[in-house]
Amino acid sequence: MNAVAEETKLDADARAAVTIGRSADELRALWLRSDTQSRIWSHFADVTPLDDRVAEWVAQGPAGGEYRWRTELANSGPNELRWSSLDGADVANAGTLVFRPAPGDRGTELHLDVRFDPPGGAIGQAVSKMFHIVPKEIVGKALYKFRALAITGEIPTTDPQPAARNGGTDR
Amino acid sequence: MRALCWNGVNDLRVETVADPEILNPKDVILKVRFTTTCGSDLHLIDGLIPTMREGDVLGHEFMGEIVDVGREVTKVKKGDRVVVPSFIACGQCWYCQHDLYSLCDTSHPKPELQEPILGYPTAGIYAYSHAFGGYAGSHAEYVRVPFADTDCFLVPDGVDDEAALFISDAAPTGFMGADFCNIQPGDVIAVWGCGGVGLMAQQGAMILGAERVIAIDQYPERLAKAESFGAIPLDFTKLDVVDALKEMTGGRGPDACIDAVGMEAAGTGVQHAYDRVKQALYMETDRGTALREAMLAVRKGGTLSILGVYGLMDKVPLGLLMNKGVTVRTAQQHGQRYVPRLLEHTQRGELTPAALATHRFSLEESPKGYHMFKHKEDGCLRAVFAP
Repeated sequence: MNAVAEETKLDADARAAVTIGRSADELRALWLRSDTQSRIWSHFADVTPLDDRVAEWVAQGPAGGEYRWRTELANSGPNELRWSSLDGADVANAGTLVFRPAPGDRGTELHLDVRFDPPGGAIGQAVSKMFHIVPKEIVGKALYKFRALAITGEIPTTDPQPAARNGGTDR
Repeated sequence: MRALCWNGVNDLRVETVADPEILNPKDVILKVRFTTTCGSDLHLIDGLIPTMREGDVLGHEFMGEIVDVGREVTKVKKGDRVVVPSFIACGQCWYCQHDLYSLCDTSHPKPELQEPILGYPTAGIYAYSHAFGGYAGSHAEYVRVPFADTDCFLVPDGVDDEAALFISDAAPTGFMGADFCNIQPGDVIAVWGCGGVGLMAQQGAMILGAERVIAIDQYPERLAKAESFGAIPLDFTKLDVVDALKEMTGGRGPDACIDAVGMEAAGTGVQHAYDRVKQALYMETDRGTALREAMLAVRKGGTLSILGVYGLMDKVPLGLLMNKGVTVRTAQQHGQRYVPRLLEHTQRGELTPAALATHRFSLEESPKGYHMFKHKEDGCLRAVFAP
């Protein structure tokens, strides 16, 4: 595999982990609550639950484009959740969330892995160029928000009142 | 409302901006009574910290009155007079439960901006760039305070507004720096910097039982203030600090050295010129004169307590620390841990934070206040704004 293809392949695989001082059962139940998914993925996509297992995702591209897909939750063991996109997805993807006990009294480790399969395969368009956000940030921020929700019941935000004016850019 | 906004390097303007609102159920809105300048704001104003955005409302050290409360706020209420630490902490995560509040795991709205730089995101902070959360600051008529039950502390009778103001940041930061030194009977503590944080570190060291506190600076009015607090003043422009400290400690060196200066350290000599050139060329944001001196001066097996704000300084002489067996302690302020006892020390007159306020301005005059503070005009130690 050439270097570009290798880079694209790595780019398509997004992983992150967090530790949360709660039991796996409690965290699993919170993850599956109907409003949780739309709250923790909001930096990446609008997620609308259609029923207990199927959700509609709409992600924004950098130039105003939209990507749509539906995911379905698979049957999986007690220590993990698995989901994958259904046929007809603009960007096929599959995700796994594994719950592991953390050492000592630290609660539960959550390991999230989302693999994107952009049109064109491994040598196709890099995921970070399709969306307005890099894959690592997609999953890392979702887990950060999930941890905040699990611990405090809220997700930190400055929207819609950021310190800066609308349209302000980093300097 | 009116607020002091950052518009670019050295471009501060008082503008009309949207009033803050309750966004999360544990938020309150504070009507700001007093808010003050901090040396670390100068890094933002000078453009040394990236991820500032035009229109950012400055200010992270403040106190005021609660005027609106979120539906899940239970411990504080409308009308309460409170002081708020500058780092936002949830009080419930592992770090908060271990009194490491500035490392809170849940209060940062933009962790993706900070994680690549630090490895892990810290707590969010008011008005300290978007990499530190992008929260609007307190140089305004109103400010939104998240996690109010954890972060708002009732100001007791006997502590006036101006004293309470500095228990938001200068006092807990300085006191924490002294606490890091694990002060034992007979200990001599040297503090680089007689700004707000340095002076509070000096008073903190005295409260914690230091035998002697030595205060290092170059400005006569600041050294005089340190002396009035009971410290021994040392003007680094008039003598060799390391030699002087050896002489003053019978050749042992200070048991602990506190750096309350940070990346903007003034200095003398070749090393300072080298640091300044690199900073000017953006090769590095930090000048480390005070830190290097402290590393050299501290006794063998002593403690180096770093409170000064640093960026990503390279060329730190680690061999000094390793070969001398120095313990390094450092953090952004874990204010929520210290505020209750600092309010008590202030009530009893052991801590005098109000003495930091040398100049007072309305919010409309705040750019002038920053100018005076930055250039230390008229002996300005801290400029206080009353919105």
